[in-house]
Amino acid sequence: MVLILLRRLGQAILVLFIVALISFLIFRYVGSPVDNLLSQEATVQQRADLEEALGLNDPVYEQYFRFVWNAVNFDFGNSYRGSLPVAELISSRLPATLELAFTSALFALLLGVITGIYTAIRRGGLLANLILTLSLIGVSLPTFLIGVLLIWVFAVELQWLPSFGRGEVVQLGWWSTGFLTLSGVKSLILPSITLGLYQLTLIMRLTRSEMLEVLRQDYVRFARALGLSQRSVYFNHALPNTMIPVTTIAGLQLGSIVAFAIITETVFQWPGVGLLFINAVYFVDIPVMSAYLLLVGVLFVVINLAVDLLYLAIDPRLRDSQLSGDS
Amino acid sequence: MKRFFASDFFYDFVRSPVALVSFLIVLFLVLSAVFAGVIAPTNPFDAASLNLMNGFTPPMEPNPFTGDVFWMGTDDQGRDLFSAILYGLRISLFVGAMAVALATVMGVLLGLIAGYMGGWLDNLIMRFADIQMTFPSILVAMLIFGVARGILPPELRDEMAITVLIVSIGLSEWVPFARTVRGSTMVEKEKEYIAAARLIGLNRWQIMMRHILPNVLNPVLVIATITLALAIIAEATLSFLGVGAPRTEPSLGTLIRVGQDFLFSGEWWILLFPACTLLALALSVNLFGDWLRDKLNPRLK
Amino acid sequence: MLQPLLEIKNICVEFKTRGGALKAVDDLSIDVQQGEILGLVGESGAGKSMMGAAILGLIDPPGRLSSGEIWFKGQRIDQNPEPFRGCEISMIFQDPLVSLNPLKKIGDQLVETILRHKRMSRAQAIDRACRGLIEVGIDPERLNAYPHTFSGGMRQRVVIALALASEPSLIIADEPTTALDVSVQAQILKLLKKLCDSRGTSIILITHDMGVISETTDRVGVLYAGRLAEIGITDHVLRSAKHPYTRGLVASTPKIDPDSFGRSLYQIPGSMPKLDAIPTGCAFHPRCTMRTDKCSQERPPMMKDTAACWLLEEME
Repeated sequence: MVLILLRRLGQAILVLFIVALISFLIFRYVGSPVDNLLSQEATVQQRADLEEALGLNDPVYEQYFRFVWNAVNFDFGNSYRGSLPVAELISSRLPATLELAFTSALFALLLGVITGIYTAIRRGGLLANLILTLSLIGVSLPTFLIGVLLIWVFAVELQWLPSFGRGEVVQLGWWSTGFLTLSGVKSLILPSITLGLYQLTLIMRLTRSEMLEVLRQDYVRFARALGLSQRSVYFNHALPNTMIPVTTIAGLQLGSIVAFAIITETVFQWPGVGLLFINAVYFVDIPVMSAYLLLVGVLFVVINLAVDLLYLAIDPRLRDSQLSGDS
Repeated sequence: MKRFFASDFFYDFVRSPVALVSFLIVLFLVLSAVFAGVIAPTNPFDAASLNLMNGFTPPMEPNPFTGDVFWMGTDDQGRDLFSAILYGLRISLFVGAMAVALATVMGVLLGLIAGYMGGWLDNLIMRFADIQMTFPSILVAMLIFGVARGILPPELRDEMAITVLIVSIGLSEWVPFARTVRGSTMVEKEKEYIAAARLIGLNRWQIMMRHILPNVLNPVLVIATITLALAIIAEATLSFLGVGAPRTEPSLGTLIRVGQDFLFSGEWWILLFPACTLLALALSVNLFGDWLRDKLNPRLK
Repeated sequence: MLQPLLEIKNICVEFKTRGGALKAVDDLSIDVQQGEILGLVGESGAGKSMMGAAILGLIDPPGRLSSGEIWFKGQRIDQNPEPFRGCEISMIFQDPLVSLNPLKKIGDQLVETILRHKRMSRAQAIDRACRGLIEVGIDPERLNAYPHTFSGGMRQRVVIALALASEPSLIIADEPTTALDVSVQAQILKLLKKLCDSRGTSIILITHDMGVISETTDRVGVLYAGRLAEIGITDHVLRSAKHPYTRGLVASTPKIDPDSFGRSLYQIPGSMPKLDAIPTGCAFHPRCTMRTDKCSQERPPMMKDTAACWLLEEME
């Protein structure tokens, strides 16, 4: 078991270094740090001095390691727009994105699994078919379009919910939360639905197809033949076997929530790191871009690793087969 | 051609309402885009033809100042929305198609090389593919776009936007092609006709291009249809976010972004018509693609 | 005569397809006596598994029991088979590799089944489970093991233990040894026979293997195209079969005796018809060397409680 852990960890670290390398290359070589920090009237000498001061003349690998070291210490340089430290920018906006991601993931997971199980058990039923058709539409629509349409219906026409921003937030130390105020919660609703909808349809279809597959298995048939109750067969035998592939794939999807958060935050002007990133792309704010890339890369690698290990923990068959060398 | 019309495929096609309707919608939209120059009453890109007084005209109502009537109304700058949508469709479809083409060519080539040459080359390409696949493709596209913008001098940024868009979306979608082609190549490589070709003295490139390539292309069509739908949505998304087609050459995504700004002031048509068009496009491409994939998938038969 | 344990009366199992309804089992009637091992033999697709599944209402849709009655211990059960599942009537399937839930320890599966059918404390159920394992020849220490740690033969024993958990009166064994090695087959069959003797349980043994039939069963029924071709005491059927199909089956079974060496193996010409192309009259007549005109026109009923063949009519 330990061997497997170490191997996975090793792979993960390697990928991290490569991601850091790409991030570093962008940081250092795209655009010019010097140009962005100095005004256009700077003299050649001033440029050279600055280059020296920034360590831009040192060997590349030295600069790379310095970059990584700084990153580990949460120093990502300063933004080109306003010269605030990037780390501060990111940390101040992180809670917004995390709360949004968490709420939408919860929404997608709960509703997705429930509808998935329902459409599998009640196969061919009217409601089940309706849900499936709607899900097809949900998958085909771009996230931003869903968001815009939701705003139109609920914010403009019905005026039930706010159309942008986070509402009032409460500051708890470093973290700012929108969960504790009514306007905060109301502001969370539309963005969470927008962000979670794609994940929901994915999880729903996955749960359904896995459940159908499991229900066809002989051990389910045997459980029925043994006289076990319908409920027990569904929830005690079929469901746990279904949830394994569902949780792993859902876990991997967590990563794409981060990507789609960018879109949702833009639609709703949600002050999170996604909006920060897209503005950075628009204004070519390189330090923010490269820092975001690094953080997101770390996040993805960690998620993939965690899901891998979770899978190993749940399925007893894998533990033994991994030991014997086949994977 | 006659054989096509008599085939099972065509039979199923005309019997399936979903396939028929979605295909017709796609066809309709494509033709509208292609003939935009002919159908559109105005050229929305020509700044000189715009009359600011025409701005904010509701659909089908005569403008209070100029008396002009516009089918779908105008935007804030007096642009006829109907024309803008037609030209926007053109851009959306063009970018989508070109991006898929790029992804296909790049993916198939890399897949062939990785599968046939094997060794460290294969390893390198596949590692890179793995790393790229850990990230959602839209993020990769955004990143490439950002980097490209960083490299280009500011004056060129708007002009090159469409090209950069194509490149960034294309580069973000090559991996599925490569992986599939690599797998098929590795299988084909072991077959006798390849050994025969080698004996004749053909070099590696000739073998790859003329012998292996035609035999591994089957699943590529399926992947291409999926990727086309993804590319169209990716383009719309990037344009909506402001990092795609600029306002001077708007695609459907850009138009929707503009439309959202005017939702609260009541000019609903600026949002509705582009949104509906994109909806129709995305849905029908997806539905038709789904149906096509079901039909082409031998396993489900 | 004692009342039979199980009475199957004229059942039909149908599948609805676009072309119409296909009959996987067509007007089948058969009885099972208390304490006997009844074999059901036939080629693949003859309908034997369907029949077994029909008894407990376990036919997968779109198939269904479309007509007929099933009586168990004097009660009609075909409308409501659920209370009997795993309780009075148990069923075991062919492939032990997939019959057990891979994520549950075998002890948990045993205890769950026991508690479902009998009221007792969990501790008592665990005790019961251990005794069940001993009875099928498995070390009770393995109560906490997962299925994948057992070999095929051992897993089938666990399956048998599960089926016996509630002390049923009837076990339906659908090809229980087909997926196992020959040596393991013999062990499992011996186990089944022993359990049947000691507890007085009846067994319906479904198989395509004539060797298994001759070794294990008291009576045997021969199925062809969803219909019962012949039924009788195993010894009689194997040695002097009345139905031409049965005779063909017996003749085509490879035997290991000096007389058979050097002779080529007999094969019944043709093959069993598919469900959508069952011939009129007697389903076997196109392949029968002794057919008459009547055979192609009318379907023969069960004659003299032995075989469904018009040839027997002359003997009356």
